[in-house]
Amino acid sequence: MWLSILGLILGISLGLLTDIQIPPEYANYLSIAVLASLDTLFGGIRAHLQQVYDDKVFVSGFFFNIALAAGLAFLGVHLGVDLYLAAIFAFGVRLFQNIAVIRRIILAKWAEKKEVRETI
Amino acid sequence: MKKRILTRFTVIMFIIGLMTAIQYNTINEPHIRDTRDSWEIRQELAREKQLHSQLLSEIGSLDETLDKYGAAADASPEQALRETAGELRKAAGLAETTGPGIEIFVEPSLEAVAMGLEIEGISPDLLIRLVNEINRYNGLYVSIDGKRIINTTAIRDINGQTTVNTKPVQTPPFSLKIISGSMEESEKLYNHLLASRILDDFYIDNLTLNVSEPQNDMMIEAYDGTIDTKHLQASEGE
Repeated sequence: MWLSILGLILGISLGLLTDIQIPPEYANYLSIAVLASLDTLFGGIRAHLQQVYDDKVFVSGFFFNIALAAGLAFLGVHLGVDLYLAAIFAFGVRLFQNIAVIRRIILAKWAEKKEVRETI
Repeated sequence: MKKRILTRFTVIMFIIGLMTAIQYNTINEPHIRDTRDSWEIRQELAREKQLHSQLLSEIGSLDETLDKYGAAADASPEQALRETAGELRKAAGLAETTGPGIEIFVEPSLEAVAMGLEIEGISPDLLIRLVNEINRYNGLYVSIDGKRIINTTAIRDINGQTTVNTKPVQTPPFSLKIISGSMEESEKLYNHLLASRILDDFYIDNLTLNVSEPQNDMMIEAYDGTIDTKHLQASEGE
């Protein structure tokens, strides 16, 4: 767990220190990509906690979701319809659901542990 | 197995962090760029320097007043106060003022007279333009047709008549008197007015401006109304 947080910190510091910028027109796509990746990440954590984690699903989901979201946003810009809202909505809802499931699982585990300790 | 999952998560977290940081960089990029060239910066610097010297001279005059107070405090505090009040009255336009200055005569143009055109009063817009032009070149004290310009003076149209301090200005000819800080400044103003485009603006209205040579002892009348200070408040601090 700590290793992944270290990875996050490393990524943020690398991004901030190198001062990489993308053209402002593409900021929209990147924000959707960030959302998609967060969604995949929490989905992965949930799957891991529910013991249904699959490596291939996780990695392919990560890249596929990002590409799909960015592609949808791109299509939306060219059609004049704010299609990226659809991606934001879908990812946003799923993000909340995943976090809720993770919370329930952790709470259930915690309660179980407490019960076991009390019985001892 | 567990190790592999951890590695995957670490890589994904790294990518997320990188993307977030890039997004942050992009959003926080300043949109307004300093596009001034060196000449514009130089001009700005000149402006600030002018302000600097103005403030310095203000400080100098205040110091002088302070010294005067200090010297006169023992001898006669009343005299010092009276002098300061006099100076303030002079600055506010409540006292008659004498100094180096020029006189501008506004007259109907020769062509208009020759053609027999009816001479109309000067328009407030034109008069305001003239006053602005004068103020640009350090006209310290100005009076229009015997009406002293003070900080609260309004030049406007009342019932078809151009008024200054709510008193009507004559149909031309009439004169403006301007006092500057020094003879040199008077001369500058004189030259500026002679070359100014405001002459053309007056000519369009069938008027001409005759600017007199700078004189050393120009006299300007005091403001004859009362200054309404109902809404003024004493400033806090020093």
